Amino acid sequence: MRRKLLPLVFAVLLALATAGVAGAANGGFTPVQPASPNAVHIQHVYYLILGFTAAIFVLVESLLVVFVWKYRSRGRARAVEGAQVHGHTRLELMWTAGPVLILAIIAAFVFYQLPNVDSAPAATDPIHITIEGHQYYWQFDYPNGARSIGTLHVPVGAVVDLSVVSPDVIHSWWIPALGGKLQAIPGRTNHTWFQAKSMGTWEGQCAQLCGVFHASMRGAVQSESQQAYRHYVDTVAHETIGAQIWNGVCATCHGNLGQGGYGPDISGSPLLASRSSLLGIVHTGVDTSRPGAMPPVGDGWTTAEFDALAAYVKKHIYKAGAAGGTSGG
Amino acid sequence: MAARSEAAYPVGWKSGRVASWLVTVDHKRIGILYIATSLMWFVAGGILAILMRTQLATPNEHFLTKNSYNEVMTMHGTTMIFLVVIPILAGFANFLVPLMIGARDMAFPRLNALSYWLFLLGGIVLWLSWFSHGGTAHAGWWSYPTLSEDFPWASPGHGQDYWILSIHILTLSSLLGAINFIVTIHNMRAPGMTWMRMPLFVWAIETYAILLLVALPALSAAVTLLLLDRTVGTHFFIPSQGGNIVLYQHMFWFFGHPEVYVMVLPVFGMISEILPVFSRKPIFGYKAVAFSTIGIAFFSMLVWAHHMFTTGMPVGLDSFFMISSMTVAVPTGVKIFNWIATTWRGNLIFDTPMLFAIGFIALFTMGGLSGIFLAAFPVDWLVNDSYYVVAHFHYVLFGGSAFGFFGGLYYWWPKMFGRMLDERLGKWHFWLLFVGFNMTFLPQHMLGLLGMVRRIYTYQHGGLWEVYNLISSVGSGVMALATLVFLINIYRAHVLRKGVRAGNDPWLADTLEWYTTSPPPAHNFDSVPYVTSARPLRDLRRRLAEQPQ
Repeated sequence: MRRKLLPLVFAVLLALATAGVAGAANGGFTPVQPASPNAVHIQHVYYLILGFTAAIFVLVESLLVVFVWKYRSRGRARAVEGAQVHGHTRLELMWTAGPVLILAIIAAFVFYQLPNVDSAPAATDPIHITIEGHQYYWQFDYPNGARSIGTLHVPVGAVVDLSVVSPDVIHSWWIPALGGKLQAIPGRTNHTWFQAKSMGTWEGQCAQLCGVFHASMRGAVQSESQQAYRHYVDTVAHETIGAQIWNGVCATCHGNLGQGGYGPDISGSPLLASRSSLLGIVHTGVDTSRPGAMPPVGDGWTTAEFDALAAYVKKHIYKAGAAGGTSGG
Repeated sequence: MAARSEAAYPVGWKSGRVASWLVTVDHKRIGILYIATSLMWFVAGGILAILMRTQLATPNEHFLTKNSYNEVMTMHGTTMIFLVVIPILAGFANFLVPLMIGARDMAFPRLNALSYWLFLLGGIVLWLSWFSHGGTAHAGWWSYPTLSEDFPWASPGHGQDYWILSIHILTLSSLLGAINFIVTIHNMRAPGMTWMRMPLFVWAIETYAILLLVALPALSAAVTLLLLDRTVGTHFFIPSQGGNIVLYQHMFWFFGHPEVYVMVLPVFGMISEILPVFSRKPIFGYKAVAFSTIGIAFFSMLVWAHHMFTTGMPVGLDSFFMISSMTVAVPTGVKIFNWIATTWRGNLIFDTPMLFAIGFIALFTMGGLSGIFLAAFPVDWLVNDSYYVVAHFHYVLFGGSAFGFFGGLYYWWPKMFGRMLDERLGKWHFWLLFVGFNMTFLPQHMLGLLGMVRRIYTYQHGGLWEVYNLISSVGSGVMALATLVFLINIYRAHVLRKGVRAGNDPWLADTLEWYTTSPPPAHNFDSVPYVTSARPLRDLRRRLAEQPQ
């Protein structure tokens, strides 16, 4: 029975694996499908290097296998010596010059592609967004003063110029489909850009270890029509900021309903009902020498945003929203 | 006083079974102590790796999360680099350099013993930090500020302080060792052993020691500034007070990249010893192999900021570090081709050391080639800090360094202990490790390209992410099994005493360490033959064969 079962299990596993590979676009052998010109040009460089390295890989490994097979001992005694060849200067010069040439081609191609990766297309009207990396959320500031958390909304086809900063630790901004990473470094402002060529939502996550919740620091970019974008930054962003803060910042640790998760259950905490205490803890975090305590999260939030958060929390989270504000806050 | 202590301790106390190891200044015993201690940390660091792979086997697991994961990840990296790869190579160098150059011992035997005991102490300090207030360091093995600073939301507690203390102790240990190797190699070579007749392993150790001397002070300085920030209130790496955290990255990687070559050059040396002996040929292009070692070492000091392409450096700097990084690939490629050419028209004998050497070439080539992607900075922007990088450096550090030192262990084991390790178990060890290694790390390239970033304790995606992660985790189990086979092999050879006794020169090798007995006497050699080429033992065998019986 077991002898029959084992191959069956393996066959099923293999089929599953193959199906998985087939199901995805490329199986992970090339970078994800690019959606922005900079990612497209990075991909070009990737393919060129892949071509050369694959060829070298095949050459080296097959030489190794062929020699290992061809010159194996076949029962010859250990004392039998191979050909006493001490070297061959011309050959050695060739396999020094060959790689130099290949690397020069790769480097030249990098410089050829670089302008398309590094600088945004000119002559358009770029949208300037400031991205702040925080423990453990991304915060986006739009040109008109609107703010969103977790998801960046952009109009399709627009060049988006990003200033990446951080007030606490180093984070790294990365949406794989929209180009390379860039660290958000406290004390500096880094610049990058993308241009979403189609409508859609692309996900990514912080790529630099930023603390206990590094794994939860996800972000997304949603590209939408110009109209939808205007509507978002003019109205929706303001209206939903309380909910965005709760969901993007607080819920990461305390759960969607404040029921607790990594952080404690706060759904019944009187802090939630008092605007001033809430503001205090959000501003200072919890000061202990144990790692993993609550970090200060509200750096740079406006009074209006605190009000929105306080109102949202009081209405929807405090005693799971059931109390509806029974205690005078 | 002197008379009294002699009365209290009989003259013979130092020759006791345990005491003789505690007081030894014999380079061979110190080498063995280094290697044994490193293998112990290797098992410990490997257990940490298995814990991480268990957590990552499937999405949304709850086996080892958040801060615990960060602690385990930090300790795994720090342990494997500072307590396994560097010291095990120092152990080989200790055992082999004096024997290979025909010397009686290292130049400074007591300093040598101090190096070892500092290494042991540094490791103990690091691992005791599990019990410190707030647990171990958890900011990754490179401990970037501000995450490593003493803020409640960064690295409070004393784990990070223990980490810094440990690095200081280990740095001191390595520096003393490096000075010792350089003085030994320069002054104590046997008559006739010119630089061009020196074993390639000794060339590698000379270069390794110089690199350590140049690179380690930068690390010491960086962690000292961090320690000052954490304990006396300076602001070197606190931007809100005017500090600059990119400075830390520069200082760390100015050490960190030469460090990579510190961990692999001695292994290159071992491969250059093993391959010719089991091919029954001289190394192909001795000078090219020796000089490429120096070339790698020189360029390795000019490439550090390729670890920092995503910090937003000016494109000019990115370009410089891309070109310098690609330049390192050239001497490395020379070595690979010269090694392969060494097997050409040989009489290849596939004992376990040779299997590991061939495996090393196969895997290191992969790690070197994936490095080209990382050197091209636009591609680096894409794959940096993803699992692609994790895969890359494991191909270099495990597929490279670890396969190399396992080969070295099987090769020099008979010289160290006088008994052979079992060939059949050795081959099981190799094949299990080879298969397990590729299962573990090959899929991680794909994971990185799919967007899986480093140092996350969990992920939500199913599909390919799950498939690749599961294969990787199963592979880590196979590697653990392989290590178990290795330990059984040692147990069998020495505790059960089933290891076949080795003669002076079981492999018909080329270098002087095989001229003396296995294991060698305390003074190494009664006499050393005049060295007439890079292969003195082969010369000797031929002279003996030519003599009329």
